Amino acid sequence: MTSQISKQLAAIIVFVFIQVINIQAQQPSADDMLNHVARLKRIEAMQPDSIGPKYQLALQSLNFAVMYPHAPQTENVLAQAEQTIGQMAKMKGADQSDLCTLNGFLYMVRIVQNPAQNGQRYYIDVMQAFEKALKLNPDNDLARQLQQKFLEGMKQATER
Amino acid sequence: MKHRMTHIVLLLLAVCNMTAQTIISGTVTDGKERLVGANVFVLGTIDGCLTDSLGRFSFSTSQMGETTLKVTFIGYDDFTLVADASQLHDLSIRMNERASTIDEVVVSASTFSFGKSEHFKTMDALDVVMAGNSCGDIVAALQTLPGTQTVGEDGKLYVRGGESEECQTFINGMHVLVPYSTNTENTAVRGRFSPFLFKGINFSLGGYSGEYGQALSSVLPMETADMATSDKYGVSASLVDWNIGGTKAFTTSSLSFNAALTSMGLYDRLFSQRQDFTRPYRKLSGEAQYKKEYGNTGVLKSYVGYDLTSVGLHTDERNLSLKEHNFYANVTYKASMGRGLTFFTGIANSSVFGDIDNAVTSGDHYHNFRNEVHLKTEIRKVCSETLKLSTGVEDYIRSSHLSFAPYRYHLDYNILAAHADAQWRVFPHVFLNVSSRVECMRNDWLLLPRTTLSYIPNKSVQFSFVAGRYSQMAKDDYLAQGLNSLSQSTADHLILSMQYKSKATLLRIEPYWKEYHHLPFMEHAVCQPHGYGTSKGVDVFLEDHSLMRNLTTTVSYSYNDSKRLYLDYTEIRTPDYASRHNLRLTAKYAIGKTIVGLTDSYTSGRVFPHGTTPYYNSVDVNLTYLLSPKVIVYTSLNNVLGRTNIFRYDSAGSPVTASRDRFFYIGIFVSLKNNKAYDISNF
Repeated sequence: MTSQISKQLAAIIVFVFIQVINIQAQQPSADDMLNHVARLKRIEAMQPDSIGPKYQLALQSLNFAVMYPHAPQTENVLAQAEQTIGQMAKMKGADQSDLCTLNGFLYMVRIVQNPAQNGQRYYIDVMQAFEKALKLNPDNDLARQLQQKFLEGMKQATER
Repeated sequence: MKHRMTHIVLLLLAVCNMTAQTIISGTVTDGKERLVGANVFVLGTIDGCLTDSLGRFSFSTSQMGETTLKVTFIGYDDFTLVADASQLHDLSIRMNERASTIDEVVVSASTFSFGKSEHFKTMDALDVVMAGNSCGDIVAALQTLPGTQTVGEDGKLYVRGGESEECQTFINGMHVLVPYSTNTENTAVRGRFSPFLFKGINFSLGGYSGEYGQALSSVLPMETADMATSDKYGVSASLVDWNIGGTKAFTTSSLSFNAALTSMGLYDRLFSQRQDFTRPYRKLSGEAQYKKEYGNTGVLKSYVGYDLTSVGLHTDERNLSLKEHNFYANVTYKASMGRGLTFFTGIANSSVFGDIDNAVTSGDHYHNFRNEVHLKTEIRKVCSETLKLSTGVEDYIRSSHLSFAPYRYHLDYNILAAHADAQWRVFPHVFLNVSSRVECMRNDWLLLPRTTLSYIPNKSVQFSFVAGRYSQMAKDDYLAQGLNSLSQSTADHLILSMQYKSKATLLRIEPYWKEYHHLPFMEHAVCQPHGYGTSKGVDVFLEDHSLMRNLTTTVSYSYNDSKRLYLDYTEIRTPDYASRHNLRLTAKYAIGKTIVGLTDSYTSGRVFPHGTTPYYNSVDVNLTYLLSPKVIVYTSLNNVLGRTNIFRYDSAGSPVTASRDRFFYIGIFVSLKNNKAYDISNF
């Protein structure tokens, strides 16, 4: 579906966003990110039959949600991501590894939103989604890095 | 001069450029309120913006002439306007809320769903394990829900005034003949399936669709977990059970196994009890699962489980000895065939051998063998956003043999059934489910129409009205005593369901009414289908997450007024298993690596010929602690206050109580595979 370059690029984008989450000065504002997601939605509307723009839209929506898990717009943005992933799943030629990665990321965001309740609830889903993504495509950097980030996060949360 | 010309040209170009930009502006509302964050843009370009906090938008575009303006907002239909770009200013755009498609809507009337069979889950296997006094038993955990009644002397599911046999269990759509483990009389049994087997548990308290039959009151369909993606191995140990299991994942398939030994021997030595067991309760269980995915369209799931249970009890001057072999296996295949078409087929076999020495008097021997083969095929089709159809056929082939000298019987019969089901979005917020089920047994045909009408104005509120007829063949013992005169019992359900759900609160109120016909009734020592009865009441369920961070509380209350003429009753009366009021209060609080649970269960007295029992009350506490990412410790204490609850009175008028007032459980669950922390499931 998406080329290896765009996957690596996506992985870089995600981790740039995640890494900067603790650096308030460099953190993109919620409005900036929402505008970016809105622009991707417009691009997606220009090419409704292409998977690439949908992938980017879902990914950036999840990026916003993981950075602003309790913003007023987050539930809508997550709903958009879920809807987009659902649309991708129905399209011919959708890369199953990418779909698993996005699904894992979606559950991961749910855990970030409410670790106490959703940690135990979605932990297995996140792990299985990333494992399946890597099984289907061992070169899926985004899945590997998200999995690593997730395990680190869980370790920190449970060692507190 | 040259510079002046340049400035003039640049100025002209700038002016031309300015005139080429058109400002598009306006407001977006849903007719009542302004929509904040709607995406307004010119289709085919990235020119656009999000609406501000007042629902306003304004942006410039280089588009000229006919322009398509599009507005999108989650939960609303896309808005499209085609007009000349110059006219797209000061617009007042009204968006319409998007009606759920038939595939998206989840009618929750009379059903509690756990796990993740469809959307995001609300409760999973760990919640089941940690529910009040469940000790990892699905059946006990479900008894914290409204509509269920506490019947302490057998621990089974009794729903809305119905007998325990009226609730039937299905795994991946296939029937389970005996879903409980066995034990001696007046001792609570447990469900025989581990909660970790399942990714989805749907407990329907009535009004279920035509897919499910042979259940008068309720159904418990459970869906096993998906194919594992990696290897995992785990062990667990407690005072009463020891468990080892694991999963080997292959590229497109996975194989799981689990072995468990439950023994009360150690516990009986450590803690005193009222009953005199000559041989402690022991259960040896083995389970295996094989799952295979065929591309992205087909899934094969198979399950096989075997339990061997034995126990010896000294009672009434005799040594009762019980042994049971319980075997269950099923294979299902589900395939998506494109164009919204799904095909499902399955086969299941249940075989239960029960033997009791000295069952009633010294020297007697009771032997019972029950077998069921369940065959099922179904086709589902999503025809459009407003219509979904399904149809299927199934066959229950049963045989039963009992010998208890001098009495004996042998039964062979089958029940053939077909069903058709239509789910239709009549109006944007009105959904109708109409189904019909036909059953045939010994040339007796039965038509069972069912319907659910739901009004779902938004994601927070649901109103449903459910009406339907349900049937079930009487237990084999009654069937044998019926001398071929017994027909299927039927029950008519009428249910009104009202639900409010917000981010932090779920409130459900369900009044219901049931009328039973053709219940087995003893007339001149022959079981006849002349029994009848009614059951009416209301269930209330409130779940809240808003009182304190990380605190979940639930209130579950059931009122039931049930009466029936049934079996050997001399007159129409309240069945002795039914209690009028059932109240359960639960609280679960997470602090770091610890989760603490508290449950209080109250049940009003039950009516027996020898009198009414005192009320039942039990306060239970439990604690789950994450010792390390791979080790979880779970402990619980049931009936903390030590109240001696009287469950019932026997035929001599003596009170029947639990073998011990309190029950203490402590277990440790260890995940052996490195990357599988926090996962105590072996499947």
